[in-house]
Amino acid sequence: MGLFDSIRSVLGLRAEADATRAADPEDLFGMSTAYLTMEADLGYDHVGAAALCFSSVDSTDFAETLDEVEAILHAGSEETGTTFRRHEDSHGYQWVVLEDNDPEDLVTSIHFAADEFIERGYGSRLLAAVFGFEKPDENVHAYWIYSFRRGAYYPFAPQTGHERNQRVEFKLQSVLDGELGIEDDERYWYPLWPDSRGGHPWD
Amino acid sequence: MEWKPDWGLRGRMALTMFLLFALYIAFVGVLSQIGYTSMLIFVGIFFLAQFFFSDRLALYSMGAKKVSEDEYPQLHAMVGRLCQQADLPKPDVAVAQSRVPNAFATGRSQKSSTVAVTTGLLQTLDQEELEGVMAHELAHVKNRDVMVMTIASFLSTVAFMIVRWGFWFGGGSRREGGAPIIVAILVSLVVWIVSFLLIRALSRYREYSADRGGATITGKPGALASALLTIDGRMDNVPKEDLREQSEMNAFFIIPIRSGFIGKIASTHPSTENRVERLRQLEREMEGF
Repeated sequence: MGLFDSIRSVLGLRAEADATRAADPEDLFGMSTAYLTMEADLGYDHVGAAALCFSSVDSTDFAETLDEVEAILHAGSEETGTTFRRHEDSHGYQWVVLEDNDPEDLVTSIHFAADEFIERGYGSRLLAAVFGFEKPDENVHAYWIYSFRRGAYYPFAPQTGHERNQRVEFKLQSVLDGELGIEDDERYWYPLWPDSRGGHPWD
Repeated sequence: MEWKPDWGLRGRMALTMFLLFALYIAFVGVLSQIGYTSMLIFVGIFFLAQFFFSDRLALYSMGAKKVSEDEYPQLHAMVGRLCQQADLPKPDVAVAQSRVPNAFATGRSQKSSTVAVTTGLLQTLDQEELEGVMAHELAHVKNRDVMVMTIASFLSTVAFMIVRWGFWFGGGSRREGGAPIIVAILVSLVVWIVSFLLIRALSRYREYSADRGGATITGKPGALASALLTIDGRMDNVPKEDLREQSEMNAFFIIPIRSGFIGKIASTHPSTENRVERLRQLEREMEGF
């Protein structure tokens, strides 16, 4: 914690300041090459989907921003064939789910959507971008989660019963380290448990 | 999400802290003149210990127990998401078996903090309201309110102890007659009264700050306002014994239990009406007014 953060804490401003801090998701594009590494070096298939998780704001302007994001994704879908849908999970958080067989298009679309939130002043509402991978024959699901708050990635490998497969997560971390900016403080590796057994976090 | 910074609140907060600081400097000056420094060190050690055990003490006195993710998966998930939004490592979560709907946060740092709720709160509030309350508590953690308030009240406690025990302790200058002890006690009395009021004001300002911080984390000031109103309404219906038992924990509660004789100026929390009014103001600003 820097001196400036300490002063803000003492003045009681830190909670507000940190919660409104804008996101800067330049590192999102690091995912393009990570897709290749995941397939070539680790033997994972991508699930053909990625998603953006955000919490909504009770305001008209935010509703308009959402319409705008949808319009942008709609326009994009005609070019790239990336389909999208909206979803609200059991915790009341919102998702934009993108589906495309080309990982490159997924990363681009996620970036487009995130950019629109940021430009309209809602960058601080973005929670995570989630990229899915699987090994169908071993029944393993693994995700790379990009935290907009931390500006870093972390691996997430859920198992049934709210357990994490730490061996898989450790493996992903060690192989992709250097290629992705990985969150080094594991206390920030927040799980995003799927609502349904065997489903994706965005299902 | 754009709303104006509350400069009035920031100004009052800074002024209160400055006044408290100035008062304490003067107080330490007087004490060292009289030769009470040894007492200062003694109370200092006691206070440091209290600071380190404060989280366990608070949880213990509330009868709150830390709960695992298996016991309260929904609550844990909610706190996790809010922390993700607030950029905080996830604190421990504790639950107290009590019908009084309330919540509090403890811990000297972000790393060692705990947020606690009563079963009454879980039963009374809906999901969005509960989120609002938890975000308010996380804002306390973020703003390091336990540490700030502990440091702020350190010398106030010293003053109080001198008022109470000054005659027994004596002082370095006792051989020159009793006058310095009387002076020390009188000075301490003044310092104690003034610092008490300043600390209570500071506590109220930090509540407003935590309300703003919490509303920023959830993006829903209205949900916190409705939670405050719901809790406030329910507070009147609970048995008096519970209220008295818990009165010493008031400073950490989201809404304190009021005892009639303590006036507005001495209360640790602003009135629910004022807090709700400010949250409504945030909501108006979100709509661009």
